[in-house]
This record gives sequence, structure tokens and C-alpha cells, in this order.
Amino acid sequence: MSDKPGPKAPEQDIVLRVNDLHTYFYTDLGISRALNGVSFDIPVGKVMGVVGESGCGKSVTALSIMRLLPKSSKIIKGDITYFRRPQHNGSAGASDQIKQKSENGQQGFWIDENAGKVQEIRLNDLDPMGPEMRHIRGAELAMIFQEPMTSLNPVYTIGDQISETIMLHQRVNKAEGLRRAIDILEKVGMSNPKLIVGNYPHQLSGGMRQRAMIAMGLSCHPAVLFADEPTTALDVTTEAQILDLMRDLQAQFGTTIVFITHNLGVVAQMCDSVSVMYLGRIIEQTSVDEIFYNPKHPYTSALLNSIPHIGSRSKERLQPIRGVVPDPYSKIVGCPFHPRCNAFMPGKCDKAMPAQTVISPGHNVRCFLYSDEVEE
Amino acid sequence: MTTTAAPKVSDNELLLEVKGLKKYYPARGGFIRRGTGTVKAVDGVDLFVRKGETLGLVGESGCGKTTAGRTIIRLLEPTAGEIRFNLAGKGWVDLAKMDRRHLQQVRPHMQIIFQDPFSSLDARMTVERIVGEPLVINHVASGQALKDRVAELLRVVGMRPEYMSRYPHAFSGGQRQRLGIARALALNPSMIICDEPVSALDVSIQAQVLSLLEDLQQKFGLTYLFVAHDLSVVEHISNRVAVMYVGRVVELAKTEELYYAPKHPYTEALMAAVPKPDPRRRDRPIKLPGEVASPLNPPSGCYFHPRCRYAKSICSVETPPLVEVSPEHYSACHFSKELTLRGVSTK
Ligand SMILES: Nc1ncnc2c1ncn2[C@@H]1O[C@H](COP(=O)(O)OP(=O)(O)OP(=O)(O)O)[C@@H](O)[C@H]1O
Ligand SMILES: Nc1ncnc2c1ncn2[C@@H]1O[C@H](COP(=O)(O)OP(=O)(O)OP(=O)(O)O)[C@@H](O)[C@H]1O
Ligand SMILES: [Mg+2]
Ligand SMILES: [Mg+2]
Repeated sequence: MSDKPGPKAPEQDIVLRVNDLHTYFYTDLGISRALNGVSFDIPVGKVMGVVGESGCGKSVTALSIMRLLPKSSKIIKGDITYFRRPQHNGSAGASDQIKQKSENGQQGFWIDENAGKVQEIRLNDLDPMGPEMRHIRGAELAMIFQEPMTSLNPVYTIGDQISETIMLHQRVNKAEGLRRAIDILEKVGMSNPKLIVGNYPHQLSGGMRQRAMIAMGLSCHPAVLFADEPTTALDVTTEAQILDLMRDLQAQFGTTIVFITHNLGVVAQMCDSVSVMYLGRIIEQTSVDEIFYNPKHPYTSALLNSIPHIGSRSKERLQPIRGVVPDPYSKIVGCPFHPRCNAFMPGKCDKAMPAQTVISPGHNVRCFLYSDEVEE
Repeated sequence: MTTTAAPKVSDNELLLEVKGLKKYYPARGGFIRRGTGTVKAVDGVDLFVRKGETLGLVGESGCGKTTAGRTIIRLLEPTAGEIRFNLAGKGWVDLAKMDRRHLQQVRPHMQIIFQDPFSSLDARMTVERIVGEPLVINHVASGQALKDRVAELLRVVGMRPEYMSRYPHAFSGGQRQRLGIARALALNPSMIICDEPVSALDVSIQAQVLSLLEDLQQKFGLTYLFVAHDLSVVEHISNRVAVMYVGRVVELAKTEELYYAPKHPYTEALMAAVPKPDPRRRDRPIKLPGEVASPLNPPSGCYFHPRCRYAKSICSVETPPLVEVSPEHYSACHFSKELTLRGVSTK
């Protein structure tokens, strides 16, 4: 295995480890190689940002971990390990229900027989629709989806959908579920939450739907929250409020957040570490400070240069990265960024794939400018 | 509400003038009983757009930007107000009063790019049909000409023509948004209402699409009403910017003036909340105190007063009209002339 996991942290500090993850889509047009060996460790209670151009595999990474991939796709290789902490095991009131089940003679996978210890759960070995994964999803790993309209059910009210999630994972009745739903809607900055719970998704503005999704994701205090472009539809004051809410959640419940976003301002303000993805691989991974002040991969620099700055009074043209992201159906020889790279070295970058190499503590990059190491 | 926001420019320079536009929805559901209220989503919007310019439209989530945009192109029935449109060769028409048949003739001149590309693309249609649909409906092209035009449109939005036979589900979020843009461009409209056209895109594609929109504007004299949340994007693309708060325009000015010398306290709060792309400057922006105003029962007087740090007693009593406080700079605040507000920090 050539892929080394990201910034090394002692194992007991890790909540999620993804190793050499490959996810492919099988379509009538052929195989779309969405993920080609994604590896990272997420330390518990931290915020990891995931950035990269459209189509590079950010959402598919989150969906693979959540085991929510569509039927046309498959994890063909790699491991996803969730390190369950005792405080998250059947957390938030669900534990009673779980204990009951095991008393009925069922094997209680969720029972913490070694109380106080961290359990290692290989998510890729679980049945995506089985009881274990269903329990983990929502209560321990939650996701705020990029597409509110496709993940909110158009025929149920917002209140029903949020209270449903709450009731599923916390032992409360309908009235209490609804009360908590109103409470969380207020926290995400909705005016009139009592009216909103009775609304259907189409009656809300884009940003209100997005906040309803956020409310659903936060309602169960998960151990890991995947936030896929959670604030794209929000104005900056509402966004600031949501980011604050997430920080509070993190402080209060030790939630780990995987923050997928195109907004580098939000990355700078929210994240501890950043993973930069390109065509289904992480090409650079380090602390947020290093990404902004000491980026190594030419792609990372190009991405940073393409941000429009506010207050630059600039009417000058933006600097898009030249070229387009290659088709994931095609197989590129060498570094997938080489056709667009300013530092392209012929005979090298177009011959082999650079390995993910640690260039300084906590900073790794896949680029022949820094190491000749090749991925076999 | 009286307004003196009437433009002092000659009619011929204008493409669109909106006066007192209102769009109300009945409030129902939840704990609110039927018929007990009205959601005043758009509650007296005044604005005007010059030919060939880009007017940015910003404001809090839920303040009525999408509703205003959709009502302007008559996808929604206005509750009240005027929507005057300067139709090439035909002069001024009031879209608010037009019947379906006449609207049909105006439609190709105004297009919209939707905020949510996921629900606006039909999952059962191929890319070719999605992008080519307006051309087919309006009998502009068919056969090979249609294919060529769709291929060209895909290329301008940075997608491969080979994608033509694929279905929307095979694309990532950003890729799907570009399909919506390609479709809106199909008929070469004179005005495009862009409802957050780039918020789903990453910065590099954003830059490409913004450059593209600018090129098309230059080439065809397009006019844009550009709704967005990213203030750097709005700054980059807009000649002037309108700021909305709870169903109304509260400030309207040239981009530079609005960003660097705002006259409305809400605009100041917006500018202060922009997240800085610098991890070494992590100051939490000043939070707006008080409750988010609701379009169901907005506060008395100035809608912003419960959250405004400059509010005085008059603000809770009297609604300030949108007035021209300095040439071409309109603001709806009792104290616009006295206050010195902070704009975007240039550091
Ligand atoms: N249902 C699907 N069928 C086929 N290919 C898919 C499907 N969903 C995603 N893909 C492909 O997988 C790749 C990664 O997609 P993904 O949605 O993870 O991108 P992303 O990084 O989240 O992009 P964006 O920033 O636009 O959301 C893309 O090339 C996309 O075309
Ligand atoms: N079909 C509807 N029925 C009832 N209320 C509606 C409907 N559509 C919109 N609204 C309400 O109108 C108000 C304005 O919504 P609109 O979508 O115009 O906001 P917006 O400014 O575009 O917000 P965002 O920035 O979040 O997209 C909101 O309070 C919303 O709940
Ligand atoms: Mg995505
Ligand atoms: Mg909207």
C-alpha cells in the first residue's frame, strides 16, 4: 500500500480513518472512477475542510463513509474505520432502547461491553441498510446534504421530517420531538419556527431549506458531522450564525466536523486542517495555516489564486485555473493535474503517479516537485 | 409607502423599472391557523435596471429575492405594483398587467437561471433535451443545427459536448448548475435574472462562469439582475447593487459606494460579516442582536430597527422611505445623512 494516511495522530485521538478508498460508478457510459485512493485520519473534535473543484469526489467521499452511495456505485477497495467513543455509543437517550434489544437475546453490537474503551468499527464491512449502519447513521455519523431539495421529502412538513429524525434516535414522543424541532430551527436563525414546522419544503426559500437540513443534521448531536456545502445558499450574516452554532456544538459535544466547501473564507475561519482533492485523490493535506501560507501543490496555489477577494476594488478579470477537470471516465497516465499544471515536467509528471509523501510534519503532498516517490 | 426612488435617467436608458412590487402568500401550517396571516415575501420593492448593466441583489436568506425575481418575470402573480419593461422596438409595457398571450411574446426576452439546479433539471431528460428545450419550444432550431447549438452552449459553460446524451444524475453539483446556465443562454435573451447562478460552483468554475457572463454581456449587450450571497462575486460583477431586507429594498447604489460608504446600517452589518480568507484573522463578526424579522408579522416602523445599533425612537414608529440621499445613492433609513457607516475593510 503506497498511500500513507494523512497527518499522523496517535490512534486514540482519531475518530475516523479512511484508507486507500476507491469508489467507482458503473454507468452505461462505462466506469466513472470517482475515488482513486483517498486516505485521511480525522482527529476527534476537529474540523477538517475538504476543497477541490466540482466533480473531484468530495460528496462521494462523504457518501461512501456514510454508506449512502447509490446502487450504481461500489466501494471497490479500501477501509473506513470509525473509532466509537463511549460517550457516543447509543448516545442521546438511544441507549435504553438498545439495551432493551439486547436483553431480548439479540447480539448487541452497540453494547459497550468494554465501557470506557474506544471501539473500532469497520464501516465498509457493514450492510449499508442493516440495523448497525442505520443506527450509526443519524445518531453517530450525520450528514448535511448538498442538495436540500432532493434530501428533504416534498410531501412531508419540515416539522415532521425533523421530529422524525429526533424520535428515531432519541427516545421522545411526537410532541417533544416537535418541540425540539422548533427549538433547533430557531437556533439556525429561522424567524417564526412555529410556522415553519408546518411548511412544506417548497414554501421555504433556498437558504431556509438549507437551514432545515442543517437543523436535521445537528438535532442528534452526532460524533461526526459531514457538512456538504452547508452554507452556499446563505447570506453572510446567517452564515456567521450557523458557523457559530457549529462551533458551539463542537465545544459542547466534541463533535468532529468534515466541512466540504468551495468557500475558502469559510475554510480559513472554520477549519483546523484541509484536504485538497483532485480527481478522486487527496493531493495535499495539512493544517489550515499551511494551506494558506505555505501551499505546496501547484493545484492548491492555483485554487487559492482563483478566489475573488472582496474589497480589492477589483474589476480586473479573475484568474481561473486553465483547462477543465478531466473526465473521470478516462484514465490519465501520470499525475492527473499535469495537463493543467504550470510546473509540468515532461517525461515525469505524464509517466507516473506521484505518491502521497510527507514533506514536513503534518504536511503531505502528491507532487514530483517534492519527491520522486511513485505510487505503485 | 411614498418613494422618491424614481430614476432621474432618461427612459431610454432603462430596461426595467419596478415600483411598489408586492407578493404575498397566505400563511398556513404549524401552529398558525388558516387565514390568520399573510407572508409578505415581497412588500413594496422599488428598483430600476439600466440597459446592459448588472444590478446585484443581496440580502438575508428569506428576505424575498427569489420571489421578487420570479414575480418580475411573471412566473408568479404579483399581488400589487408595476413591472415596467422596455421591450425592444415596442416601447414600455407593464408586465404586471399583461395577460398570458402577451406574456408569451415577452418571455424569450427574459430568462432565469435558477437557484436550485437539482430540482430544476428534469432527471428523465438528456442533456441535449434540457439545454435544447427552449430552442425547440420556440422553434429556433432542430436537427443538426440544434445539436450544434447545444454543443456550442455546452462548450461556453465549460462542459464537453460529448455529455449531450447523458442524464443529469451523472453529474456533480457544479456540473449540473452549468447545464442550467447553458439552457438560459439558449435564446439569446436581453435580460437574465440570475438567481445565485454560481453559489453551487467552486471558485475556479465560478471564475470561469463569471468571466463567461461578462463576455456574453459585452457581446450581446445583456442585462443581468444578479442575486447572490457571495459579496465578492457581487462586487466583481455588478455595476450597482440593491440590498433587500424583509421584502423591501433598503439601499441601492453604485457598487463602490455601497461597499465602501454604505448608508444603511443593515448594509454595514452585511459587509462586516464576510468571512476573511485568512486563517490568521479569525475575528468573529459582530452578531446581529435581536430576532430575525419575520415577513409574517414584521416589526413596526423600520423593519430593521430591533436589530439596529443606531436605532432611535422614531425608528420603531415611522417607516423610512427609500430616498436619494446623494446622487444615485438611495437608502431607506431615517439617519442615512447623519451616520458615517463602515464599509468593507480594505486591509
Ligand atoms: N450517480 C452518479 N453516477 C455517475 N457518476 C457520478 C454519480 N455521482 C457522482 N458521479 C461522479 O463522481 C465524481 C465525483 O462527484 P462528486 O459529487 O463527489 O463531486 P464533488 O466534488 O462533490 O463536486 P461538487 O463540488 O460539484 O459538488 C464526478 O465525476 C461525478 O460525475
Ligand atoms: N410558495 C410559498 N408559500 C408560502 N411562502 C413562501 C412560498 N415561497 C416563498 N415563501 C416565503 O417567502 C419568503 C421569501 O422567500 P424567497 O425564496 O423569496 O427568499 P430569498 O430572499 O430568495 O431567500 P434565499 O436567500 O434563502 O434564497 C420566505 O419567508 C418564504 O418562506
Ligand atoms: Mg458535491
Ligand atoms: Mg432565493
